[in-house]
Amino acid sequence: MVRTLTYGALIFFSALFIAPFLWTLLTAVKSEAELVAWPPVFWPEEWRWSNFPESWAKQPFGTYLWNSTTVVVLSTIGQVFSSSLVAFGFARFRFPCRDPLFVLLLATMMIPWDVKMIPLYMEFNLLGWINTLKPLIIPAWFGEAFFIFLLRQYIMTVPMEIDEAARMDGANAWQLYWRIHLPLMVPGLVLVGTFHFMNAWNDYLGPLIFLNDQSKYTLPLGLGLFQGRYDIDNIAIAAITVILCLPPLVLFFFVQRYIMDNALGSSVKG
Amino acid sequence: MSDARRISSRRRPSLAPWLFISPWILGFFFFTLGPMVFSLIMSLHDWPVVGERKFVGLQNYQTMLTQDPMFWKSLGVTVKFAAIFVPLNIALSFLLAVLLNVKVRGTALFRTAFYLPCVISGVALVMIWKWIYSKDYGLLNYALSLLGTEGPNWLGDPNWSILAIIIASLWGLGGTMLILLAGLQSIPKELYEAARVSGVPAWAQTLFITIPMLSPMLLFTFITSLISAFQQLTIALLLTEGGPLKSTYFFAMYIYDNAFKFHDMGYAAAMSWVMFLIILTLSLAVLKYSAAWVHYEGEVKGGGNG
Amino acid sequence: MKTTRRALLSATLLALAIPSASFAQDKVLRFATWNTDPASIAINQAIATKFEEANPGVKVQIELYGDGFDDKLTAAMGAGDAPDLMYMWNFPAYKDALLPIDDLVARDAAEMNLDDIPAGLMNISKIDGKTYAMPIGFTTQVVFYNKDMFAAAGVAEPAAGWTWADLRAAAAKFRNAETKTYGFAVDAKPDPFDFEQFFWSNGTKYISDDGKTLEGYMNSPEAAEVLDMFADMIKTEEAVALNIGDDTPGSSLFKAGQIAMFQSAMWSKTGIDESGINYGVAPLPAFGDKPVHSVIGASGLSISKDAKDVELAWSFVKFFSTPEAVEMRTNDLPIRTSVADKLGLAADPITKPFFDMLAVSNRETNAFLKNPNWGQIQANLALAIEATMVDQGNAKAHLDEAVANSARFLN
Repeated sequence: MVRTLTYGALIFFSALFIAPFLWTLLTAVKSEAELVAWPPVFWPEEWRWSNFPESWAKQPFGTYLWNSTTVVVLSTIGQVFSSSLVAFGFARFRFPCRDPLFVLLLATMMIPWDVKMIPLYMEFNLLGWINTLKPLIIPAWFGEAFFIFLLRQYIMTVPMEIDEAARMDGANAWQLYWRIHLPLMVPGLVLVGTFHFMNAWNDYLGPLIFLNDQSKYTLPLGLGLFQGRYDIDNIAIAAITVILCLPPLVLFFFVQRYIMDNALGSSVKG
Repeated sequence: MSDARRISSRRRPSLAPWLFISPWILGFFFFTLGPMVFSLIMSLHDWPVVGERKFVGLQNYQTMLTQDPMFWKSLGVTVKFAAIFVPLNIALSFLLAVLLNVKVRGTALFRTAFYLPCVISGVALVMIWKWIYSKDYGLLNYALSLLGTEGPNWLGDPNWSILAIIIASLWGLGGTMLILLAGLQSIPKELYEAARVSGVPAWAQTLFITIPMLSPMLLFTFITSLISAFQQLTIALLLTEGGPLKSTYFFAMYIYDNAFKFHDMGYAAAMSWVMFLIILTLSLAVLKYSAAWVHYEGEVKGGGNG
Repeated sequence: MKTTRRALLSATLLALAIPSASFAQDKVLRFATWNTDPASIAINQAIATKFEEANPGVKVQIELYGDGFDDKLTAAMGAGDAPDLMYMWNFPAYKDALLPIDDLVARDAAEMNLDDIPAGLMNISKIDGKTYAMPIGFTTQVVFYNKDMFAAAGVAEPAAGWTWADLRAAAAKFRNAETKTYGFAVDAKPDPFDFEQFFWSNGTKYISDDGKTLEGYMNSPEAAEVLDMFADMIKTEEAVALNIGDDTPGSSLFKAGQIAMFQSAMWSKTGIDESGINYGVAPLPAFGDKPVHSVIGASGLSISKDAKDVELAWSFVKFFSTPEAVEMRTNDLPIRTSVADKLGLAADPITKPFFDMLAVSNRETNAFLKNPNWGQIQANLALAIEATMVDQGNAKAHLDEAVANSARFLN
């Protein structure tokens, strides 16, 4: 009974979440005429799979893909590593100014980007980073408040006894982080990796502001170019969107079990 | 405080915590502090993007509070949005996370399905929602017509537009849901077993085990949802452009317009600082009162590591 | 081809043993556009390539900002890193970052044959007597109409000298609730820049010429009359309302045969051509016997004040306005009369109304050239227009509110 209800609810919500994606897919294989037809056509008469290669060929998407991949891979590694370090520092030590510093960390999440943009641009310009991928990669190696906060909360659910036991065995701070906490944090790290991956993969504004030359563009910028001032290429947007969704979806499908695979939940006594 | 006590409270001074948090400290000095100070200076100026800058003291703040009806209007829209969105976002995410936490076949697929909207980029997201909300041909009103009711003009009626934005925003709750799901997974199963053996009913287990054990993650989602609600911009900007009749004109959008449309950087910076202070105050209040309901298994109360 | 040239060049330089600091390094001209459609991108690329061929060692780097044009440009200018060359239309907002070109134009006037460019177009970027751009293309506003629908309904096609009363009478005949067909479309969220032409045509304007008074202009009886007329067309179903909840563009409706008449500009023409509709073009209707006046939507090519090599940037601007380059830009109406004549555009019944409108539309100055805070005032005005369309009337009250809320931007 409970099981049936759960299934029912799961299927209902899944349908809500999937339906719009299906519509994107349908749009991607429609013809131009079906798109402006009145009343709108829900189901395409003929599935034009050729829309995918044609849309891909409209811009140098191969170059964009390479740039996006570089940014996403390099920044995700940096984000996961640095955020876990900082989170561990805040969660497991007592030091002067810790709490004010943590509030400051939270506060950095609250600054609207509009006003940060120009000073940051100036700084990156001084460093010679404009029109390179560096502004999109290097800051990630210094941790981001959202992820640090998330991992800090995660670490704080781990009982102190674990640390004390490790200390008894002579572990120093680094070994405590590297050998004990990092493995326990895996679900949190996967979350951080997933979220950062998606942010970087879909980021439009950062690349728009910091990149100039089309050869440096990332995938979302290319996608954005289909939306002009007076015209919008809906089919190309839909087709490229579907293509853009696939790598993260496949990746997510394979890593999501690590979010569930929790050492604490099953083996450790609370 | 006497010297003796101070020494005893930091009996093992150590560099270790500073080394651990050093990446963030450095990042703060490199990428955050400068822009923050800069924007504070900007807010005290009549600061066009290019051209002559003029120091005006607190005039931007004064104009905002006394002469600008749009400031209050957009703040009102934002507060209304946050008041509805934040609780709904957490409640629904929690519900879905609990559903997914039940061991059934195919959870991997369901999890992926719930996260799907978070994978779709902004440009396409807007195209999808415009189609859903279209008055005459939209999916939503089509579904409502099957149920025998006539749907409203979602994006065209000032009374419905804010709700339309809230629904569209809730669609992206996959991230919050995952965070809570990870939190649920870290609750020791033994607690539930012990409760079951003692005959504690399921609702009481949720209330007295799940929620307290999940409270650190609930606190996290509460604060981050609050921040993102106040910074809400993209969806409304692309979907309604603040309309109809400014009913979805969020505070962040007004800042954006001042900066990038009106090129009044000083005013935009001043508004940003006001928004910053509002969010900070709310977050600090939440943090302060969180001590009463957030339970940390591994809180560093005494000396801690070091 | 280019690599060969570069290799040759560097070989030569090496042979001459010139210090290596700058050798083999192309001089880069950064050129920012808002173009996103492949055709326009290809045209600019072709012009750039021709320029590169004529100027060895120069590379024109075309930067496509698309929909993010203003965000990107604002950030870059604020940080002092603007591109050397850029498309521009919103001159008041950006003028402090642009190089006035009056001296350069005066110097090279003979070479550029400026008589060939209508004075109205040279004036699009003129603020306080300074010119900030060379025009690159323009459009006036017209009414597209579906010839087949007119024939089927037995309605006489619009002719020069027609009025809004004529348009409304014709539009009423196309309304069919069953097929969701309308005679015309009224945009509830028009671009205020374009919308001012109706104020002009009805004998008023948004703001006084000195840019200091709104009272009696923006909320004048003539202004309210314009807004109320459009609202009334929505109410009587002579026109479908665009952008109230459903943002299906008017061009889509026109291309799908859902509306018989569509008021728009040159940028809609390509799409309509592609749809294969049998259409005609009429000038804007007049308000009674008052003279009709169209807005001239023109964009220019501007040089950044911070451009590293002004002469080089200017030579590109000049190249961009040569008859050769103007003729290549088939996506815009040509700024040179000689090119328009050569292509026979002023005689072609489809393009003739654009030129007819140009001929009568040089009396008024756009509001945004008159007041530096126009952006903020315009936001209030846009709200009043939208409110009138949603209310289906009540224009005077909404305009009064817009004027009141704009008071603090007038000094």
